Amino acid sequence: MKTTKPAVSFDGIFRQNIVLMSGLVTAPIIVAATTAERALVLTISFFMISYLSILICRYIPRKIAYNVRILLYAAVAAVLYIPTAMLLNAWFPETTQSVMIYIEILVVNSLLLSKTESRFYLKPFGEMAVDALIYVAGYAIAAFAVGIVRELLAYGSLFGATLFDAPMPAAKSPFFGFILVGIFAAVCRALSGRRAGKGAER
Amino acid sequence: MEVFYKIVSVAMVSVFVQNAIFDRALGSNVVIYASRKDSHVIGFTLGITAMTTIASAVSYFFDSLLLPLPLGWLFMPLVYVAVISALYIIALLFFWRLFPKVFAKIRKYVHLAIINCTVIGALFLNSGYGSDIWSYIGYGFGTGIGFFLACFLLNIAHERLDSDKIPRVFRGYPIMLIYIGVISLAFSALVGYTAEF
Repeated sequence: MKTTKPAVSFDGIFRQNIVLMSGLVTAPIIVAATTAERALVLTISFFMISYLSILICRYIPRKIAYNVRILLYAAVAAVLYIPTAMLLNAWFPETTQSVMIYIEILVVNSLLLSKTESRFYLKPFGEMAVDALIYVAGYAIAAFAVGIVRELLAYGSLFGATLFDAPMPAAKSPFFGFILVGIFAAVCRALSGRRAGKGAER
Repeated sequence: MEVFYKIVSVAMVSVFVQNAIFDRALGSNVVIYASRKDSHVIGFTLGITAMTTIASAVSYFFDSLLLPLPLGWLFMPLVYVAVISALYIIALLFFWRLFPKVFAKIRKYVHLAIINCTVIGALFLNSGYGSDIWSYIGYGFGTGIGFFLACFLLNIAHERLDSDKIPRVFRGYPIMLIYIGVISLAFSALVGYTAEF
């Protein structure tokens, strides 16, 4: 019996998560995702800058050399940064200012500069839009997982509501971010391996 | 001589106190990629150091012009992308015209070494910490050296971190992150400094 490959792939959520599996966009999560609110700000900024850039840059002619095309991608992202920063500053002024550099550097993130060429732009527009959105969802899951764990450990709170005394204040430090993302990456890989194994058994 | 001391002292700060990788994780994916091969360590270090140093010097003038304006900060990513793009194209043309063999070798990954979070992050950090053009240059140069230090420390551990002694699920990327985390912990303890994150 002939099998057809599904048009929508959920790889970006888990198997090819850009933070936990391929490590394409790690800096904001490792350093800045120390609370759930920060994770929310990082997710909104990532969606507005990266996702919209991916959709817009689709229309940049592929006749232009790759070395020049990626400069245009970064320029589009830098333009989208302007409304994003204004919006986030209005909604979450303190949190946005504290993670600003990690929003600014998104204009050159690897999802936009690499994954577009190797994956997204090889698909029809609609399929690409859904696929890129799934990758953004994968980023959001990683951001919230790291942000919630670190907020609980470093501040003993969740979304700013105090739950208990902070058991591990150092959890907000960058070194803990590296270690936690490393552990999450291993867990993600183990789960992904198990799922692949089950799939093969079937 | 005073200028030299200033450049060196600011560079030392950006290598050890505010290391782009260990303290800010800027370009941690690039450092993991570059540390896999000795030739990449050298190539990426040269590319990033040249870019952070030259782009920092150029960005000083744009920072002086735009940052005092009320909404000037909103346009800084666009300005920095323009600066990096211009230098990237100049670098490509330079190698294409004068060293075609080198150009053929590096053209596939030169953009990874030039257009990344380490380079643009150095410019943003410079706009916050830099006071004059010499401190900008020192910080930019130090960022490149800091990248080399991180890359070197990962490169020498790469074989062990990828060996059978490491559990399979941790091998490669996860253990690399944990290893960087341990070095980051050592750096923060060494300087008695905690980033406000």
